[in-house]
Amino acid sequence: MSHTHSPGDGGGDHPAAPMVEEITDFEVLEIAVRELAIEHGLFTAEDHRRFTEWAESIGPAAGSRLVAKAWTDPAFKKRLLEDAVKACKEIGIDWAEPTGFGTPSDYMNLRVLEDTPTLHHVIVCTLCSCYPRPLLGMSPEWYRTTNYRRRLVRWPRQVLAEFGLILPPEVEIRVEDSNQKCRFMVLPMRPEGTENWTEEQLAAIVTRDCMIGVALPRPGRTADVHPVQKARRPVQRS
Amino acid sequence: MAVRDELRQQLELIGAIQPALHLPQNWNYEVDSALFKAYLHPPHDVGGQFDAPGVYEEKEEEQWELNTYVTCEVLGWRGIWNSEERRRRADNDLGYTLYLGIPYYGRWILAAARMLVDKNHVSLTELIEKIAEVKARYAKQ
Repeated sequence: MSHTHSPGDGGGDHPAAPMVEEITDFEVLEIAVRELAIEHGLFTAEDHRRFTEWAESIGPAAGSRLVAKAWTDPAFKKRLLEDAVKACKEIGIDWAEPTGFGTPSDYMNLRVLEDTPTLHHVIVCTLCSCYPRPLLGMSPEWYRTTNYRRRLVRWPRQVLAEFGLILPPEVEIRVEDSNQKCRFMVLPMRPEGTENWTEEQLAAIVTRDCMIGVALPRPGRTADVHPVQKARRPVQRS
Repeated sequence: MAVRDELRQQLELIGAIQPALHLPQNWNYEVDSALFKAYLHPPHDVGGQFDAPGVYEEKEEEQWELNTYVTCEVLGWRGIWNSEERRRRADNDLGYTLYLGIPYYGRWILAAARMLVDKNHVSLTELIEKIAEVKARYAKQ
């Protein structure tokens, strides 16, 4: 299913072919389960709407702000390394949202891993796809693949090189395996050439990949570039 | 045998059972203990297994995928399931064929559907009728 569309689909000169797009089995199942659950009073349409609104509000920008603040404010960095969930509140991220006790699958426990000139951290979830959603949004697809999960723990240098990150041998690589009870985020080192930058300027170079640990921030690098598999019916943001 | 060699052999055995389109296996009189251990290995525990380099793609999110995420979370929020039963059993303990073969959120929604039936929130007939009704609804459009 994921390979029925080539990257060029829908582009180019040809007009969109008139087609009766077939609804997929997973789309059918999703609608059926959601409607049955609502009809049986297991949750309400309003619950679903509220949670969706929250899910659409999260993203890596919050993590970028957190890193930029830690780079410019040593006292904040100290608080962040001591109690990351509490420090998140200072930039407006409350891990208790949207239910009052967090999301059912993101246990309210975050640890921030500080890189040094001789130590680089990178995050994986070998068992599934545990990821600090409230701070970084949804995990990227590659993070969920068996390929990344299989290989990173055993061949971290090679895998990082495939992401374009080649680290010198004297830098130790520490792979942190996330789990249901503890989520991780990497605090990369502030790169040279960013002296006197504002927090906003700094946040722009702290991309999602830098906070997973598969890239390093540097001036001029403001986006993570990967090939993108297009959706058949992408999320309609409100 | 050295632990490292043993681990390597286990990983190779596990790798060998991953192509998951099974042919008839009617006369399994004996399974040696290394193979038994490999069979019992949880499919989602993949750390350290062999694989070739691949392209690390992004994927644009489908509407049904976001809806699935939210439905599964809201079912947890309202106490219908907890994250242990949901993840370790429902999403992951599927056998290699389904675990490796079905898309990420496909496993999630399948898990939710099975749970609703297993816990008698809906009957299997009701689910099947609902699926038919949804299909018919969209076929008309």
